[in-house]
Amino acid sequence: MQRTNVIIGLVFVIVALAVALLLVPFDVETSYFEKHRRQLNVGDSLAPTLAAAFILFGGLLLIMERCANTHKQLSWANFRYLLLFLLIILFSLSLMRWTGPLVTGLLNLFTADDLEYRPLRDTTPWKHLGFFFGGGFLIASLISLVDGKMTIRAVSISVIAIFAMIAVYDLPFDDLLLPPNGDV
Amino acid sequence: MGVFDYIQLGLEAVFLGPEFFSLLGIPISITLAMVFFGFLTGIAVGSTPGLAGPMAMAIALPILISVFGFHPDALLPIFGFLIGIMKGATVGGAVPAILFNTPGTPDAYMTTLDGYPLAQKGKAKKALKLAHFSSVSGDTFSDVVLIICAPFLAILVERYLDLPEKTSLLILSFAFIAAVIGNSVGKGLISMGLGLLAAYVGTGEDIYPRLSFGTQELARGFPVVTAVLGVLILGEIFKSIEDLWREKKQNGQINVIEQSGDQNLHWADIKRYAPYIGRSAVIGTVIGALPGVGSTLAATLGYTAGRRQYQKNKNANDPNFGEGAPEGIAATEAANSSVSGANLIPVLSLGIPGNAAAVFLILAAESIGGFNPGPGVFKIPSSGVNTELVIAFGIFTTMFFANALNWTIGGYIMRSMGVMIRIPKHILLPIVLLLTLTAIYVEQTRMEAMWFAIGFGVLGYLMRRIGMSPLPFVIAFILGGRLEDTARQAFQATGGDYFFLFTSPVSFIFMLLALAVIVYTARHKKVQSE
Repeated sequence: MQRTNVIIGLVFVIVALAVALLLVPFDVETSYFEKHRRQLNVGDSLAPTLAAAFILFGGLLLIMERCANTHKQLSWANFRYLLLFLLIILFSLSLMRWTGPLVTGLLNLFTADDLEYRPLRDTTPWKHLGFFFGGGFLIASLISLVDGKMTIRAVSISVIAIFAMIAVYDLPFDDLLLPPNGDV
Repeated sequence: MGVFDYIQLGLEAVFLGPEFFSLLGIPISITLAMVFFGFLTGIAVGSTPGLAGPMAMAIALPILISVFGFHPDALLPIFGFLIGIMKGATVGGAVPAILFNTPGTPDAYMTTLDGYPLAQKGKAKKALKLAHFSSVSGDTFSDVVLIICAPFLAILVERYLDLPEKTSLLILSFAFIAAVIGNSVGKGLISMGLGLLAAYVGTGEDIYPRLSFGTQELARGFPVVTAVLGVLILGEIFKSIEDLWREKKQNGQINVIEQSGDQNLHWADIKRYAPYIGRSAVIGTVIGALPGVGSTLAATLGYTAGRRQYQKNKNANDPNFGEGAPEGIAATEAANSSVSGANLIPVLSLGIPGNAAAVFLILAAESIGGFNPGPGVFKIPSSGVNTELVIAFGIFTTMFFANALNWTIGGYIMRSMGVMIRIPKHILLPIVLLLTLTAIYVEQTRMEAMWFAIGFGVLGYLMRRIGMSPLPFVIAFILGGRLEDTARQAFQATGGDYFFLFTSPVSFIFMLLALAVIVYTARHKKVQSE
């Protein structure tokens, strides 16, 4: 476990140094202390540099500490899972964001209408399209991930959950916007 | 007007406020009804694996504000609901901790250490009863202390702490949190440093929002809900789904333990556990009264003190702490629950939260307006009425009402939540994930907030995987801005004195204590590991 701690400690030492020596000098406009109207003030660089100093100190302490506890270690398997998980989320949120505009675009292709999603985003069923498909995909695919297969049960649960969420957030309140209707 | 007039006004505001419905001819005020609904929600949420009180508060807040509006009359009903959730979730948080080894709330983490092993031995119901009794005892004790001491303590704290002392007090709080939470001071400091760093993105006094890489998305900084819910809730969901995935792959099924044996909590049990509950209630109340130091630290200290006492008294055949000792549950639950009352002292007097639940109370106050947590709350003007003080006593009243509910029906509701073990966690967690993301969106109405939350969720996941507690991150994130502002003001007020933290004796002592707690804990933990 000592070796794991040394690696984690080293990573955070590098992170801290990068923040203090690269990020703060290049992405903060004022220095550690600033003189403004003949009065000395704390500049914007001081706080993030101190935060980096805490990380640096923690990293060094971790390298020296022999504690640790833990049976917890990161493995490549964790990263593979994380990647898969994030891909599911990425696809779900993309579906959520683009289903409404995509459906209006498709309808425009096949009909003589000239629909735009934006004026429709506060009307049923348009306002629920993205949330229904994107959210439904998210729930169904994560249940299926654990189950090891896509099942009707997973899809049914996701549909019921989505309807329940629409009932809680959307039906009683006119001023609450379900995703993605605040953006599109 | 004197103190007793304010207490009376506070009681009237709660009990005689706008009527919600009438029960046997007795009008029930909207605030009481909201406490009741919040309490039920809190127990259900706290008892449900993967759900947590702060998350329910986050989900409920935009809905409550939509219902009650942005005016001072909305304060008590909304606070009532949030306090109900806080109380209910605190007691309910022990359910997933005991049944699933999943702390529904961060402060219930220590409950898992003995609660889960006890459940594995087939004593889940007994563990739940003990957790409820300990939790409600600690909670009630701290509320009594709160109503007796809060106004006086707040005035004392305010009188003796100037800007440099407040800055050093915050630093001391951070040092405590980083040192005591988790099993490594180094990891605690890193977690805290990361929280501070995240808090400083897109903020600052210059026109250019610092650390924003010139992007519009980062220029507004990270919304509090994205960081808090991301690291605390989403991180846990990411990890839990992976654990379930691997468990299913390895075993082909998710294990459920059959319960057996005597599940009752007898009078003899209560007498046996009372010293642990009493000690932890005092620890939790003292810790809760310290600004920025929350229930997780209280649970840790209560657990540690209980373990020390237990080692002296235990029989050879009794299980050790961490192996299913009921005393471990009693010590932890009494400590973390007794924080919630005392925690309102720094929240109300200084605006500093000690735990995630308190954060949402502050968010509610800031969102609605008409109530500014700070020294003004406890001031009694020579003429006129301080409406904030009336609201403060109204808040105390709602807490006592929630306690009464907890003593009378809370135990039955909590025990009935044992049925939650039958809800497949792998079905619930994805729903909770979407619910959390939706709540974030509803509040922020921009997709990037969801992405930020997912980013923080990844951070929370990685932290858990390397054994780093996410709580120092969250508290540092919440208090980072306040720390910088107070330091700026203190620096200016002392005429640009670089050593402003060391010039006053109180501030110097706080700084010395901050250093001492880091050094002592680092050495102590090193010795423990050797």
